[in-house]
Amino acid sequence: MAATPTLPLKLLGRDWRGGELALIATALVLAVACVTAIAHFSDRLTRAMHIQSQTFLAAERVVRSSKPVDPAWIDEARDRGLERAETVSFASMLSAGEQFQFAAIKAVSAGYPLVGHLEMRTATEAPREVVARGPGAGEVWLEPRLLPLLELEMGDRLQVGEAELLVSGLLDHEPDRSDNLFSMGARVMMNIADLPATNIIQPGSRVRYRYLFAGDDAALESYFKWLEPRLTEHQRVIDLREGQPRVASALDRAESFLFLAGSLAVLLASVAVGLAARRYSLRHTAYVAVMKSLGAGRGKVLQIYIGQLVALALCATAVGLLIGSLVQAQAVTLMSDFFPVDPPPSSWSPLLVGLATGFACAFGFALPPLFRLARTDPMQTLRRDWSNPDRREWLGLVMGPASMLLLIWWLSGSLPITLALFAGMALLVGGSALVNRLLVRGQLASLGGAWRIALGSLQRRAAFNTLLIAAFGTGLLAMLALVFARTTLIEEWRMQLPENAPNHFLFNIAPHDVGRLRGFLDNNGIAATEIYPMVRGRLVAINDIPAKEREEQAGALRRELNLSWTDNLAPDNRIVAGNWWDKADEGVSVEVELAARLNLALGDKLRFSIGGLEIETHVASLRSLDWNSMRPNFYMLFAPGTLDDFPATYITSFYLPADQKLLVNELVRNYPSVSLIELDKIIERIRDTIGQVSLAIESVMALMLVAGVLVLVSGVRSSIAERLQEAAIIRTLGGRRGLLLKSLVIEFGLLGIAAGLLAAIGAEATLAILAMRVFELPFSLHPLLWLAGPVAGALLVGIAGTLACRSSVSQPPLKVLRELA
Amino acid sequence: MSAMLRAENLYHRVATSEGPLTLLNNISLQLARGESLAITGASGSGKSTLLGLLAGLDRPTEGRIWLAGDEITAMDEEQRAAVRARCVGFVFQTFQLLPGLTAQENVMLPSELRGDRNAAGRAAEFLARVGLEHRLGHYPRQLSGGEQQRVAIARAFASFSGNDGILFADEPTGSLDAGNGEKVIDLLFQLNAESATTLVLVTHEQRLAERCQAHLRMAAGEIQSADILPRDGGNLSEVSA
Repeated sequence: MAATPTLPLKLLGRDWRGGELALIATALVLAVACVTAIAHFSDRLTRAMHIQSQTFLAAERVVRSSKPVDPAWIDEARDRGLERAETVSFASMLSAGEQFQFAAIKAVSAGYPLVGHLEMRTATEAPREVVARGPGAGEVWLEPRLLPLLELEMGDRLQVGEAELLVSGLLDHEPDRSDNLFSMGARVMMNIADLPATNIIQPGSRVRYRYLFAGDDAALESYFKWLEPRLTEHQRVIDLREGQPRVASALDRAESFLFLAGSLAVLLASVAVGLAARRYSLRHTAYVAVMKSLGAGRGKVLQIYIGQLVALALCATAVGLLIGSLVQAQAVTLMSDFFPVDPPPSSWSPLLVGLATGFACAFGFALPPLFRLARTDPMQTLRRDWSNPDRREWLGLVMGPASMLLLIWWLSGSLPITLALFAGMALLVGGSALVNRLLVRGQLASLGGAWRIALGSLQRRAAFNTLLIAAFGTGLLAMLALVFARTTLIEEWRMQLPENAPNHFLFNIAPHDVGRLRGFLDNNGIAATEIYPMVRGRLVAINDIPAKEREEQAGALRRELNLSWTDNLAPDNRIVAGNWWDKADEGVSVEVELAARLNLALGDKLRFSIGGLEIETHVASLRSLDWNSMRPNFYMLFAPGTLDDFPATYITSFYLPADQKLLVNELVRNYPSVSLIELDKIIERIRDTIGQVSLAIESVMALMLVAGVLVLVSGVRSSIAERLQEAAIIRTLGGRRGLLLKSLVIEFGLLGIAAGLLAAIGAEATLAILAMRVFELPFSLHPLLWLAGPVAGALLVGIAGTLACRSSVSQPPLKVLRELA
Repeated sequence: MSAMLRAENLYHRVATSEGPLTLLNNISLQLARGESLAITGASGSGKSTLLGLLAGLDRPTEGRIWLAGDEITAMDEEQRAAVRARCVGFVFQTFQLLPGLTAQENVMLPSELRGDRNAAGRAAEFLARVGLEHRLGHYPRQLSGGEQQRVAIARAFASFSGNDGILFADEPTGSLDAGNGEKVIDLLFQLNAESATTLVLVTHEQRLAERCQAHLRMAAGEIQSADILPRDGGNLSEVSA
């Protein structure tokens, strides 16, 4: 017959004062709160990135084509209930009276953009308006800098090909502009209905057609499944991944880092759960022996204690989920700038992650001690011996780590991160046993007095100390690994953004402006990089084989490249093979990583298509460069003179100190056709982001510290009864309180040094794997880590352990002996 | 009268680092329902081991035991636990009350383990029988040693789900002063007589042993001597070494 259902709950409630259940619950709450907060944060970040990616595409998916597609494709999309829009982009000359200007024209259909919005003004001084549709038929919107170039006013008429359109708006923002930042000319947006009247598009014209789609995920999926076999080599589907901006990889990295920190907090909390559960199980050996004497079988004992564990795990997990959800809501508010768009509400999945964490911690680590408890021999009631005779601890050694491995793998989504963590942990546990043996076999006891007592204590608890060293070591390992990984991570980010790096880019500089602009910069004492010419062209063949065949190896082949030429090798460029312009052997210098992806070697023939014309050249040199230098850099640098026949615009970058910032206004006023990017503002934003990411990491580390203290308290509580008895006997025999205190400091100090030393080894190993496999950082040894580990260990464990044990030396010995009798 | 407890040729050996050690050597005995047996002997004589085997807490290396008609030596741990839940009560030297439970909840425990939903009423009834009806809500730490042992006795009697109860007591007065010890023993025998339960107790006290109908003296795992007192009706318990 089953025990009454309320019995587990009653025993749970009545046993709360014992302390272990509170420790288990606190550790579970901490682990669940930590993981839930990170999972919520990550979920919302992913959703925000998803939305932003769609915004970058102005749709959910896009078909890009160099020719109009079969109208049946669009009809099919309509039949499947998808939203559709179309854009046609091309470059053309505009005219207004006597003024002419080359421009990048985009004709848009009704419905554009399907995702995101346009920003425009109806007058130069008018406020920006957010609109969901492009210009109406007969109207045109211009990028503001075109107005002075064409000497136009709002309401004037603009000649586009053979059509005359009304200038009705100034275009400030279009969602899918990013892919043609360096395109020739300023943007003009018109209605697609006016396109035939312009008569611009003729057979052979370079035109890019984009077909935009949005709608239900399943409908999109089935439509593109239908479409895929119909696509030709002129058409390509662009999905969210390609729409994702580069900042996504940085955010991904921050997310992995947070999950790594969170996983370590969970691991520590689990160790605390395991220690507390072990103590709980030992303390309950007598209870179970009595219950068994009264007729409870092993099944019934398990039913009672697992019932308690389930109830405890449910309550603690619920509290953890609540705290985690509240913390993430607060964190998202604090870090709103961190998100590319307003983060949408979180889904249910983070709650599931929290729930799984709570139960993995509880069951992985607390269940094995309960299984041992259920095997208690009822004869112990008659022998009055409450030691746990079951020495088979293998279940705990397998179940706990296995559940954590699966959980952390699931949480981090990365086997390398998980294996790196466990490699460090395995090293730590093995090392703990070794160090513990060396510690108790050493000659330190010959130092006498407190040393002898401390060493005796370490010796008596040799097996358990191995666990303690491993547990403290885990905490220290986590902290050391985090501190050093974080320092390295931020160092790398900082290295990407060197001080005094150029913080302004100027592009779309017309050839006739180059000389004047150089004079303007020189006169104002601004040191600019070289002003590079730039021609857009596509690599179409390598050694007479169409480059398309190597598109998989390099995305650069799918788009037009910025081609340039110069006599001077930039300081961050270095020739790694071949020669820099040998008069007898001119050709093209190729960036070394692109060359590797394309399997290019010196002398290989390359054919480029530029503005419909093709030129052939060969690889003259391979060049390494630093993309993070904030200087204009190019995959392809030609020998001077090679591209003279093609129309070029120019690009440069320069560093402008904050106190000279007002020069920007003068520059914009004097050179209205030039486009300016203020990198200093972007850099500031990135630095803010790093600060905010650090804040998030610090918060998780604070939780880890709490988890570390929980491990310590759980560990010390496990041995407190024994310690009370030993201290009472020593004091009864005349030992002074000071002597006992000193022995505690030595004991925990030595444990701390051992744990710190092992943590340093583990952290170094973890950092090595993380650096190479996950963060792709160069690895180097960290001498400071080897000092910080033992010192931090001795201080942390020494102080915390002594404090946690101080009751064992402060209680009157008679009282202790009577209570323990 | 049918045998409530019967043991045949019990041997119990354990493995030690110095080789096998014999704890019990060829013990046989039989007790009828309502009889009482005292087991005495020096420390290490095997009396507690014998008590544990008779109660089904462990299995002998050799030999057979029948408890309330069931051969518990042929049962696994779970089946023996079920027999204990039905007809075995225990009183321990150090009371073994769960400190987190009140007196009433401690007495409720065996009934709750059986799934008895009237555990509270039953516990209150037994506590009243041991004179502790005013101490239901008190925790063990709030009770004197004598009171704690009375709670333990109430719990032992609450362990029986039917009429075939057998109570095992391990040094029931070992942790009590003489006065309290005397009161506890009186109570134990009074309840034993009222409920017609069978009683097996291990004790060092000669006076306590003399109150039982059978007295078995043990030394080095063997029965040294046995006194069997005549009872009404002429039936005798059988003890053999």
